This record gives sequence, structure tokens and C-alpha cells, in this order.
Amino acid sequence: LTDFLNYLMLGLTRGSMYALIALGYTLVYGVLQLINFAHSEVFMSGAFGSFLVVHAMVGDGKDVSGAEQVLVVLVGLAVGALSGAVVAYALERVAYRPLRRRGAPKLAFLISAIGASFFLSQLFGKLFNRLGNNQFPDYLNKNATLFTVFGAQVKLLQVVIIVAAVLLMIFLDRLVSGTKLGRGIRATAEDAPTAALMGVDIDRTISRTFMIGGALAGAAGFLFGSAFVFTNTMGFIPGIKAFAAAVLGGIGNIRGAMIGGLLLGVAENLIPTAPWVGGHAWIGQEWTDVVAFVILILILVFRPTGILGERLGRAA
Amino acid sequence: MNQRRTVPEWAGRAVACFVGAIVLALMVGPQQGSKNDYGLTFREQVLNPRIIAFLVVGALVFLAITYQDIVRRYASRPGVRPLIVGVLVLLASYFLMRWYDPLGNNGKFAGFADAVGRTGGIAPLAKVFFGWLWWVSLLVLIVGVFVAIARKLRWLGWASAGFAVVVGVIALLAHAAASGAGGGIDHSFGAPTAFIGYLVIAGAGVLAARSNAETAATREFVERVMAFRPGLPLVAMGLVLGLLALLIATWFAPQRNNATLVDTSKLFSGSDASALTTAYLGWLGYVLFVVVLVLGAAAVATGQRMLGYVATAAALIASLVTVITLHDISTTAFRAGAGAGPWRDLGTGGWLLSIAMFSIGSGGFIAARRAPVRGRSVMVGGATSPKAGRLHEMGASTTTISIALFGLGLALFYPPTATGFWQQALVTDIGVYVLLAIGLNVVIGWAGLLDLGYIAFYAIGSYTTAYLTGSLPVKPPSWLMMSPLWAIPFAIAVCLLAGVLLGAPTLRLRGDYLAIVTLGFGEIIRIIAVNNPGNFTNGPRGVASAVPHPVINLGFFRIEWGGNQLQYWYLLLVLVALLVFLFYRLENSRLGRAWAAVREDEVAAQATGVNTTRVKLLAFAIGASTSGLAGVFFASDIGYFNPQNFILNNSILIVAFVVFGGMGSLTGAIAGAAALTWLPDFLRDQVPSEDRVMWIGAVLVIMMIFRPEGLIPARRRKAELSGLAGHDTSVDQDLRAVPAGEGV
Repeated sequence: LTDFLNYLMLGLTRGSMYALIALGYTLVYGVLQLINFAHSEVFMSGAFGSFLVVHAMVGDGKDVSGAEQVLVVLVGLAVGALSGAVVAYALERVAYRPLRRRGAPKLAFLISAIGASFFLSQLFGKLFNRLGNNQFPDYLNKNATLFTVFGAQVKLLQVVIIVAAVLLMIFLDRLVSGTKLGRGIRATAEDAPTAALMGVDIDRTISRTFMIGGALAGAAGFLFGSAFVFTNTMGFIPGIKAFAAAVLGGIGNIRGAMIGGLLLGVAENLIPTAPWVGGHAWIGQEWTDVVAFVILILILVFRPTGILGERLGRAA
Repeated sequence: MNQRRTVPEWAGRAVACFVGAIVLALMVGPQQGSKNDYGLTFREQVLNPRIIAFLVVGALVFLAITYQDIVRRYASRPGVRPLIVGVLVLLASYFLMRWYDPLGNNGKFAGFADAVGRTGGIAPLAKVFFGWLWWVSLLVLIVGVFVAIARKLRWLGWASAGFAVVVGVIALLAHAAASGAGGGIDHSFGAPTAFIGYLVIAGAGVLAARSNAETAATREFVERVMAFRPGLPLVAMGLVLGLLALLIATWFAPQRNNATLVDTSKLFSGSDASALTTAYLGWLGYVLFVVVLVLGAAAVATGQRMLGYVATAAALIASLVTVITLHDISTTAFRAGAGAGPWRDLGTGGWLLSIAMFSIGSGGFIAARRAPVRGRSVMVGGATSPKAGRLHEMGASTTTISIALFGLGLALFYPPTATGFWQQALVTDIGVYVLLAIGLNVVIGWAGLLDLGYIAFYAIGSYTTAYLTGSLPVKPPSWLMMSPLWAIPFAIAVCLLAGVLLGAPTLRLRGDYLAIVTLGFGEIIRIIAVNNPGNFTNGPRGVASAVPHPVINLGFFRIEWGGNQLQYWYLLLVLVALLVFLFYRLENSRLGRAWAAVREDEVAAQATGVNTTRVKLLAFAIGASTSGLAGVFFASDIGYFNPQNFILNNSILIVAFVVFGGMGSLTGAIAGAAALTWLPDFLRDQVPSEDRVMWIGAVLVIMMIFRPEGLIPARRRKAELSGLAGHDTSVDQDLRAVPAGEGV
């Protein structure tokens, strides 16, 4: 049970990050019916952007007081979100809008997004020396345990990540269902030409949607960076898993993406490590990624509409 | 909605241009980041005086966009385009290409010019050219031609053109003088390229000097000649190349001595070279060239079928004789203790002449194919007989065929005299990826399915070969052990099976889902190879023992590959030619048309009775088996490989090759793969190899924005991708119905 709980916590931690990234996929899919392949690089840029600021704030991360810790988390989230939003905005302007104006077929969008994704990841690699093991300053003491349940240690960092992610998701849910911008997004998702006739500025809405998704992914990048090592190619695996999560919950469906992310995170950590006792797993942890991909393929083949079904307009 | 504050449009544009300039500054330049100082790169690349150059570029782009009406008015004048091309060619020759091989990496213009400046006893003309004339002439020509174009100054145009020709000749002479003083083998292309650049600028000057009516008349004349005489450009190019080869080029360079054809003849006059070689060097070479040239020119001029085929045959024989002679030269010299071995120490002359003759022969071939069939008269009203237009109907223009034939000549005759580095690069970097690109072109280009896990089939093919040849920890039963050539059908079958297994459930998915699923599949295969279940793949260390080289042994006839890369190159060429032939037939078959229908509108295709899933599955399977074939080839050529060869980056690279060359166009896929694999090797001391993927990504985005149909587009695809056809029913099309900014 101890192992089970440990893996469950790990799964929830990772899952909450997948959920944050998945929201970006889902939002963009909702308004454009396109999968934003470069979204994983937005996530990556959030990690690097916030890293620069956090590094400047606390240096090596020795002896950080409690108030400072809270400040670092808040600032890190904000800066990560900001860099994510900036990159996502630039992405939309450069790689998507010219094609959209021309009415290009989907294949062109996909290829352009893939190009942008590789460009961004390698550009950041160039900037940060392609190190394989960048780490945030240990401002929160990664091993600090908050409390223990049945011998399983619940780490402070894990709790911070999950809480931050959930708060962000609630914020997004309110944003989409309660504000004028959210109404615009939902209207665009449901029927773009009609929305335009009703006075929604489509270009602006799409651009804002990219920025919101990018901000969430950037914040997730900060959280990911705090917990694990980060590299310029770190976006790829979480990105594709977040996409799997978005599909699992029903792409285009905001709440679905949240649920899907958490489910996928838990599943990919629990399944390979079963039966969680005796230190001998049936599948083995090195197959974690394969499990996630297999889940993705199975969902796509058997239930491409996901758990909660598609449609951004309705479910939010 | 409420009224928003609007930012002036030019402000946004200016910001974009300057941000773009800064990003460009970050992209260019060496790797800088460090773990101790994360701002280092930024400071080195951006807070550096050279940022001014990038900002100037940004400002120029901004001005060009802002005043695009004026710019466009000038840019459309005759002569502007050749001017730009010529300047770019010159810049490439001065900054990218090598001017003198023995200097190593410093054989570029700057290093060579330094060396020339320091050395005494070089002709003063060379000193002047390498000292200052090269950049002064460039500046003078840019300004001169541009002013001539802008102000319509005829005398200036003529003067610039003359000056450009003079400087071009000076460049050639100066290079010859300087490299002659240095001695050593010199295969460099810098000086000839510069010469071509100056000639192009001279052309721009001439265009500027002549009035529009005169230019139009000339152009019309040229077009008329081209239309009447297909194959003429190839013959003309052959003539120029052949003269270069016979008169100037180095044929043999033992002990750092550049010998032209005449010199080589003297070298071998008393040696034990075969009679053929002696004759070739003495007189046969010239005679062969003249015969081929006369035949080819006659075929093109008269348009007679038989004559065209005779010219083709003559060219092939002559090229073959040249190659045999080259081999004999190098082996004879080797035996006499002068050369470094077979196929070594050969200069550019031999292959240049072969390519020249091949190209003339191709001209004759095209002329023959285009010639009307005898006995069937040309129809009234200029329409030719049905047979005459066949090539055209089948979707290949004369230009494309000309390019393809010239490329074939290059592929046949260039490698033997290339340096070892380039032979290796040709086979393992370029050749294998060309094969893969041809296969992926079927999937992406024809069936319109984005397959991002294409490399997985390549991996499966490679590992199948390794298993069947007993190079993995798990050995096959002894009756199943085989040579790599026999493994080809098995590898293809396994890949076919894998393709069908993956495709059958997933091909019903929408395009973007398919992309993700294939991407996941590719990663699964790679992770399996790394994780090594059942100790089958030997994990990240790669195969356990080297995959053997293929052998053909018929008792009396035995070929064993592996001696040098050339053998692999020609095997590869045969495979590629075979596949191109098969796929070319396929493109215009019933299946090819079904692919086009599915690609353009799946619902409509289904409604007209195309079994879409089956058709897509076939494309997938054909692509997968091609990839498997490439895998066999790769495994036996390289011997050792590991899962790192099959990372996602490589899948994306192949997609990039296909897209860059032109989706759906076989010539395009080959050209794209060849160009994009050749460039990094060519620029390997300019651009760090780790940055390769970054540039490729940028190229993909830019291609999709400005030229989605690729370098050598397929006609049908071009219309689809530019998005003008209006048959795309997705939302983006709907969005386009709302003009930007009208939704307020």
C-alpha cells in the first residue's frame, strides 16, 4: 500500500501537469479544430523563462525562508505563464495566421507547427547549452515531507504542484464560462462565421485562446521544472501525453482535459508498477512511456470522442 | 462590443521585424550557453556590436514591407532578379565555398586570400584580386547595376556588364595563378562559382541596358527555340562542361600536381597503361566528345527519332569508356608507385566530361521522345500526333525530365572521383534518406497521410536484417541465417505486416489523430529497442556484432560489397531507380488516382466508390516496405547501429525533405532529400551540427508560409496546397470567409 500511495501521488503530480498542458490543446482544438503540435514547446519555454527569474531571485536556493518560498512559487508561476503566453502568441502569428488567412489545408498547419516545434526546442537548446540536466534551485527542498499516510510520504512539493494546478484549472473554468472573452471563445468554437457576424473578433479571440493555453502550459512548465530536471527537449514526452490526456477526456472539452490529465498521470504510474509490493513489477517502470502511448492509441481507436465527448461550446 | 484602442499597424510590424532580427542573431553564431552563466549566450549574441547588422536587416525588411508598393515597382523591373541571384551566388562563393583545398578548412576565400597576401612571387593581378578587388567589385556592381535599372541608364548597364565579365575572368585567372603557385590537389569550386556569379550580374546589367521591348523580343526568341528544340539546354550545358573538362580541368593529380588532359597524356605516354587509355588520353577523348556533341546537336536540331537514340547510345558508351579510362589511370599510376590507389587522385576533369557527354546524350533522348512518330502526320492547326504529347500528358514537363536526367548523370559519374568523406556522406547520409523520402512521399505526398513515425519501419527493417544475419544476441535457427541481400524480402514483408497492423485500426482516424498515433508508434518501437525485452535488440548498445556486407556469389560471378562505399552507392542507385520507376507507374495508375481522390476529399472519394481505408492502407504499407528496404541497406552498409539512429528527429527530417522538395513529386522528394542532407555536410564548418534541426524547423515553417508546394512542385498538389482551390470544407476555410478585422 505504501508503494501504491507513493505512485498514486506521483501520478497525481504528473497528471495535474498533463491536465494543464492538455487544456492548451483542447482550447486551441476547440476554436481551430487543429492540434497545436508546437504546444509542448510552449510548455518548455515556460520552464526556461521562469527558471531565469527564479535563479536570479534565490541563486542556488540555500536557506530560503517560508515567505520567500511562497513568493518564489507565485512569481515562478506568473513568469512561466507569461513566457508561455508570449511564445504561444508568437507561434500563432508566425506559424498559424498566415496559413489561416490563405485557407490552407490541415496538412500545411501540421507541418508548419512541427517545424515551429523543432525550431523552438533547438533554439532554446542553443541558448541554454543543451544541458541534459538543468535543475531549478532547490528553493522548496524537494525532499521535505509534509505528512505521512500509511508509510507513504506526501511531499510538500507534490502538494504545492497539485494545489497550484487545481487552482489554475478552476480559474480557467471560470474564465471560459463567465467572462466576455470566454463567451467569445465558446462562440468561436461552436460556429466561427456566425460568431463573427455576432460581433466576435475571430482573429483576436484565436490569438487570446493561444495565449491562455500558452499561459497554462508555461505555468505547468514551471511546476515541472521545480519537480524534475528539465531540458530543451523536455516538451516532447509530456506534450504527447497531454495530448493523449486531452483525447482521453474528449478533445475540445475543458473539463474532460482536466479529468483526462489526472487519469492518465495516475494510470501511467500505477499500471507499470503493479502489483506495488515486493519491489518486483510485472511490467516495469521503464515502460511508463509505452503504457501512455498504448493508452493513447487504444482511446483513439476505440473511443475517439473520449470520456466526456467533444465540443468546447457545450461542456464548459 | 466596445471600441478598442488600435495600435497603428506599422508599429506592430516594426516590433515584429526587430524581434525577428534578434531571433536571427540568436540563431546565427556558435554555441555559447553554459551551466554557470545562463545569460552568456544572450550577451554574446545580442549585446554585441554585430547585432547592428541584424537590426539593419530587420529595418530593411520593415521598410520593404511598409513601402512595398514602391519596392515592388522596382523589383519587377527586368534585371533585378538576376542581380539578386548573382549577388547571392557571389556571397556564397566568397563566404561559404572553398577556394583552395590543400588549406583545409581555411581554404575558404578569407583564409586563401590571407595566404596569398603573405606569399611572395604571385602574379600582381592575383594579389590585387585577393587583396581588395573582390569586395570593391561586388559593391561597384551592386550599385552600378541597380542605378542603371532604377534610372534607366543604358551606358551604365553596358559598362557594369562589361566590368562584371572582366572581374569574373580576373577571378578565374587569379585563382589559377594563386593555386598554381601553391601546388597541391585542388577540387575547389569557389572560383568557378564566382565566375558564374559575375556572369549572372553581367546578364543583369545587359537586361538593364536593353529596353523592355528588346528584352521581350529576345525572350520570345529563346522560348520559341526551346519549344521547338527540346533538349537544347542539356546539349548546351554539355558543351560548356565538356570544353571546361577538356581544356582547363584537372584530370589527374598525383603528388599534388594538377595535370590537365594534355599533361596527363604526357605523364602516361611511356607507361604500361592499356592501349585504350593511351589512345583516350591522346586523341580518343576529344574524338568521343566531338562525335557525341555532333550527334546530340544533330538530333536536337533535326528532331529525328533514330538520331536521338543513336546520340544517347553513343553518349552512354563514351561515358563508360571515360570511366574505364579513369580507373585505368589511377590503377596504373598506383602500380607505378605514383598514385594512392584505384579511384584516387582523380581530378574533376574525368567526371565533368562524363557528365557533359551524358547530358548531351540526354538532350538527344529528350529530342527523340518528343519527336513525332513517323508515318503519323502532324495534325492541322499545330496539334501534334497523340504519341508526341505523351510525356506531357503523363504529368512530367521537359524541364523536370531534363533536371532528372542531369541529376542522374551527376549521380552516375560524380561519386568515383569524390573524396572519401563525400563518398561516405553520399551513401549513409544522402542515399539512405533519398530512399526513405521516396517511400514517405507515397504516404504524405500521394495519399495525404501525415506519418510521423516513419522511422519506426526503418528500425524494424534494420533489426530484422540484423536478426536474420545473426548479429543480435538472439540467433535465428541455422537454416534461417542469410546474407543481407536475401533478407530484403523478409524485411519488406515484416515492415509490410507492421504497417498493416498499425494502419488497419488507425487509418480511419482523422489526419491529425493519425499523425499523433504514428508518432506514438515510432516512440514505442524505439523504446522497445532501448528496453531490450528478451535480450532481443541488445538495448542501447546497439547490435551485438556487425551486420555482414552483402555478397552475390554465382560461382563464376562474385561481388562482395564493403570494399568501398562506391559499391554501395551503385547498389543504392539501382534500388532508387527501380523504386522511382515503380512509383512513377503507380502515380498514374488507378491506385494513384484513388490516392489523389482520398487526399482531396475523403467523403467524396468514398461516395464515388473508392474503398478509402483499403487505399490508405496500401499507401501505408508501400511506404512502410520502402522504409524496410532502406533499413536493410542501412544495416548492411553501416554494420553497427543502435536505437539512437531511430529517434523522432529523423522521422521529422524525412518529413521535412519531402515537404521541402515538393509533396507528391518524386523528383521533388529526391531533390529535397539530396539538398537538405547535402547542405549540412557542405556547411559543416559554418553551422554547428547540433543546430541542424533548428534550421530545418525554420525552413519548414517558412516553406509552409511562402511556398507550401515545395521546390519542385507536383502540379496537382500545388493547386491544393496553396489553398485557392476552395474545396476545403474545414473551419479554416470558413474563417477565411470573414475578412480580418470585420468582426468588430
